[in-house]
Amino acid sequence: MKISIRNVLCRVLVVAMMMLPFQTGQASMIGTDQATSAASTQADRNTVINLLSRAETARELQSLGLDPKTAADRLAAMTDDEVRSLAGKINAVPAGADGLVLLILVVFFIWYFAFRR
Amino acid sequence: MTLYKGVRLTAGAFFLLAALTGCATMVPQTMDLRDAWPAGVPDRVELGDVPFFPQQDYQCGPAALATTLVYSGVKVTPDDLVSQVYLPARQGSLQVEMLAAPRRYGIVSYAIAPRLDDLLREVAAGNPVIVLQDNGIGPLSKWHYAVVAGFDYPAGELLLRSGETLRLAIPFTILEYTWKKGRYWAMVTLPPDRIPATATESGYLEAILAMARVGNAGAVTMAYRTFLNRWPDNVTASVALANKHYEWGAIKEAEAVLRQAAARHPDSVLVLNNLAQTVSDQGRNDEALAIIERALRTESLFTASARETRELILQRRAKGG
Repeated sequence: MKISIRNVLCRVLVVAMMMLPFQTGQASMIGTDQATSAASTQADRNTVINLLSRAETARELQSLGLDPKTAADRLAAMTDDEVRSLAGKINAVPAGADGLVLLILVVFFIWYFAFRR
Repeated sequence: MTLYKGVRLTAGAFFLLAALTGCATMVPQTMDLRDAWPAGVPDRVELGDVPFFPQQDYQCGPAALATTLVYSGVKVTPDDLVSQVYLPARQGSLQVEMLAAPRRYGIVSYAIAPRLDDLLREVAAGNPVIVLQDNGIGPLSKWHYAVVAGFDYPAGELLLRSGETLRLAIPFTILEYTWKKGRYWAMVTLPPDRIPATATESGYLEAILAMARVGNAGAVTMAYRTFLNRWPDNVTASVALANKHYEWGAIKEAEAVLRQAAARHPDSVLVLNNLAQTVSDQGRNDEALAIIERALRTESLFTASARETRELILQRRAKGG
């Protein structure tokens, strides 16, 4: 387990390091991400953190029953903030399913003991 | 017999809890509504055209999402969405994924503020709202997504598309009680030519930026245009739209957007830098140089980038390009 985490970490860091110089050395157009994040050193640090969070969340999604391709596709539609909100706590956040039986009980009790409006 | 006893016990405990804490603290927002109904919102609204997809198994997430997406004009079924929002091992759907999935269809998803007022405003504006409810009791959570498609305040009820019920009328108190535990989380999905009734400038820009990650070109452009019609002074939105045009190779469109932004913000280093770049890319390096010189008159976070751009323009000019 430890080894696999370290593997992922290394791979991600390699990718991150490959990406950083490209980002700053590319054409002179200032990107939307740069425009929205305040300081550029902070932006660089966030890039690494975001890549790590994405790798971690991808792994977690797979452990919850998604195949790698689907997990990657679903991650792609999330913002960095959203990915960070999931990384490491995907089992702690609510997952809406159903629960109508209990709903009927709750409805009945509040209806009965409280008031309508 | 034991079941009956259990029910009586629960009811007793519930009653005691209600009496002790006071109803006002259990459903504070419903209480506030009694004194202050949101201005301009009628007391009865029902969006009858909101479709209904009875949920299967644990798939209220895909069902709720299909409901609002179809209403927003997307051709989609809950089955199409299962692979995008359903997590087999959790037997449910995460809030983040509910927000993320609509973006693929060029639809902007927006988490509204955690207020009953805002929920009512959105419904009154014709936008069905997906709510996350906890229908469990005490520590036993039963998370569930439903769609609010109307309300009837004189009757004290909200009208939901929920589970297998097409028109579930539940009292305001119940909705708030079940909605509160998920910190009043709610979202709307809107086509890119519309803006949610309760949207804030910064919040909605973030929603569009998020959609632009995976949305199609037409929808992304439309969303930014709609945003800029409402908030024409937003520099980030202009730059983001121009960057998208640039990315798609539509340099003339990018230049036009940046020129409009530069007219409103003549000192924005960000805008001037990108404008100079697009002008230079079209081979007009003298003009580009004049623009970048203007950018360098003001000190900003982007000054370093502007200097690089100037270097590039000078190199290109020297080559005679």
